[in-house]
Amino acid sequence: MDVLNLAHGSFYMIGAYTAYTVVMATQNFWLALLVAPVLLAVIGAALEMVFFRRLYRHGHLPQVLMTFGFTLVFVDLIRSRFGPTTRAIPPPPGLGGAVHLATATFSSYSLFVLGIAIVIGALLVIGWRLTRLGVVLRAGVSDKEMAGLLGIDLPRTFTFTFAFGAALAGLAGVIAAPEFAIYPGMDANVLILALVVVVIGGLGSIEGALLGAAVIGLGYVIGSTLFPQFAIGLIFALMAAVLIIRPSGLLGRRS
Amino acid sequence: MEVTVTDLTVRFGAVAVLDDVDLEIASGERRALIGPNGAGKTTLLNVIAGELRPAQGSVRLGTRDATTLPPWKRARLGLGRTFQRSTLFGQLTVAENVALAVRARIRGSWRFWPGGQHPVREEVGKRLEAAALAHLANRRAANIGHGEQRMLELELALAASPSVLLLDEPMAGLSGAERQSVLNRLLTLPRQVTIVIVEHDLDAVFAIAERVSVLDHGVKIADGGPAAVRADPRVQEAYIGAF
Amino acid sequence: MLLALALASIPLWAPRFWIYIATQALIFAIFAMSLDLLVGYAGLPSFGHAAFYGVGAYACALLALGHVDGLVPLLLAGMLGAGAAALPIGALSLRTSGIYFLMLTLAFAQMLWGLAVNWTSLTRGTDGLIGIPRPALPGLDTLNVSLYDRGPFFFLCLLVAIAVFVVLESLVRSPFGKTLEGIRENDRRMRALGFPTFRYRLAAFVLAGMVAGIAGSLAAMSNGFATPDLLYWTVSGLALIAVVVGGTRSFIGPALGAFLVLFAQLGLSTYIDRWELALGALFIAFVLFLPRGLVGLVRRA
Repeated sequence: MDVLNLAHGSFYMIGAYTAYTVVMATQNFWLALLVAPVLLAVIGAALEMVFFRRLYRHGHLPQVLMTFGFTLVFVDLIRSRFGPTTRAIPPPPGLGGAVHLATATFSSYSLFVLGIAIVIGALLVIGWRLTRLGVVLRAGVSDKEMAGLLGIDLPRTFTFTFAFGAALAGLAGVIAAPEFAIYPGMDANVLILALVVVVIGGLGSIEGALLGAAVIGLGYVIGSTLFPQFAIGLIFALMAAVLIIRPSGLLGRRS
Repeated sequence: MEVTVTDLTVRFGAVAVLDDVDLEIASGERRALIGPNGAGKTTLLNVIAGELRPAQGSVRLGTRDATTLPPWKRARLGLGRTFQRSTLFGQLTVAENVALAVRARIRGSWRFWPGGQHPVREEVGKRLEAAALAHLANRRAANIGHGEQRMLELELALAASPSVLLLDEPMAGLSGAERQSVLNRLLTLPRQVTIVIVEHDLDAVFAIAERVSVLDHGVKIADGGPAAVRADPRVQEAYIGAF
Repeated sequence: MLLALALASIPLWAPRFWIYIATQALIFAIFAMSLDLLVGYAGLPSFGHAAFYGVGAYACALLALGHVDGLVPLLLAGMLGAGAAALPIGALSLRTSGIYFLMLTLAFAQMLWGLAVNWTSLTRGTDGLIGIPRPALPGLDTLNVSLYDRGPFFFLCLLVAIAVFVVLESLVRSPFGKTLEGIRENDRRMRALGFPTFRYRLAAFVLAGMVAGIAGSLAAMSNGFATPDLLYWTVSGLALIAVVVGGTRSFIGPALGAFLVLFAQLGLSTYIDRWELALGALFIAFVLFLPRGLVGLVRRA
């Protein structure tokens, strides 16, 4: 959509806190997995229709600053509701154990996350390539006027896409909740990592984002093992290397 | 300065937009590139200017192989150009637009203090007079008329005193009187300036050009004096096929 | 001029607390002006400018804690340290443009923040470097003027702010400044005219980083400490807000914007519990209703 939404990390954080709330109230992780995306789709759609829509024509800077304002609002809302302390939820029942594969041991929840990630990634690639929405989005990003001429309802498409993106971020937040700490400020961390992933993979390419995530994930694991203090540094070194060799990202279109 | 293009091929994906094109343009020659829409004329200019890298072939400016040089280095060798759509500095004034071009030539842009710009201002004034734009000097370039923008576009290229001038449809969208003034400005250029002009207005082409090269679907189909090219059956066929 | 005089009179009548606040605002104004060189004139929307503010502060702090005494060396340390950081970051980020550039500057700044948190042997992590002394003023000590007093320190910041303002104003009127504007308006045309545009952009990026480093040095002296918070991305965000609220393509606008943002932050945090929320809402409203900033409002009127 050619929109940089700094509040995307907030969506992830809200997803995680939704998971926390639902699990504390009902002990049902699966319910959270359902509730959070719906909630965030609604939030995303509302934000797009009320706020973002007015700013597309003003260029990137006002957009970015407005979303910056939203991150302040969201993090403070979360802090006022849940306090500044770190929260955690247990893995869903049945996935708390460990699985032995050959000589290695994995937690079953990690395998579950891996499975979900693969499924969602595959669905996204298929959707991006084959569905009408994917085609429309690719057209809308590269030439808004042309898409309008072809009779595509861009405002509705954009609202839907924005809501969909928010829902995915929320879903990611829920999935991350049992594995990582839940705290106000988690939004910034995940946002920066997401930006790095997108930069490495290439803007405007779903496959690129997936590849970027794989590169970063591997880089982070290798970095943490070799020199734990500077694992982050390795990730950024990777990013710098990609930028030098391919400024538009691994799978990005060359401009 | 001579412009020599050898065995030039440019591909966008699988499509060859230019296919094995050769051009030899002598120093001071006035050469026109014509052909139907989509023939690859603008692409050829972009390759000569350095904005596109060819898949194959070479570009020489004078005696220098320029194939891999970036646009700004070619400009410093003496290559100037105009663009098909006016690409001015919209938020700057007309005078500031020309001043940028003048400073590009005299390499006067690594100065961090204002002042000492008197010679530049003087030259800018003269150039605006010559282009009949002096009365617009302090208007923003985005806010002047289309014809005036086209004149400014040309003036930006001229202010760098190029020895090779690439013109991409300088007459596009102009009225008859405006065309005449652009034409007059071109005809007063010093004899040693090499001009390569892409233009659909064939009257203008034949008024300026000494030789004409015809492109069709990325292939050069004819090359020669205006009369010979006009009479060439392949050229007539290409044009009839296109219109 | 009037503004400078009005500001200069602050130590004469204002309560101590307000002198301190005005000092902070001046430092923030220097920072915001440096950012506007990028955002307004060069057309480079950096969301990682706090990196150079922070690096400047750390450079100054390390030198001051290493028993270097002297105003000029400490300010220079901040300036050159920040410039040294800006060079590689700029060289990499400027390979891209637009939204991509914004993301990259943000990412690099957060990397430096992570470094400040994790490189504990140099930075002492989240605790930060504390007990940074302010430099002595040779010659003036005999007159009982010390930078440890609020008045003289305020004047120092005011002087530096005015100097930065004058230098930046003349910079954007210089051939170099006009070249930057040309590149902002039309990079392709500038290259066709023979400008190596990348070098000019990089020069602007490093210059802006150096000025931010000066602001960082002053911040380190003012606070007496340097912590990773200085580099956090919200600092970059606040500075960008100051620039946009004040209005880009002028230096007085961002300076005023810096004062406004700081006072809004202070006012809200004094009276409202959830002040960050209110501040965020205020920013959102500002962007929605005044996308061209205060200067835009004045220009229209």
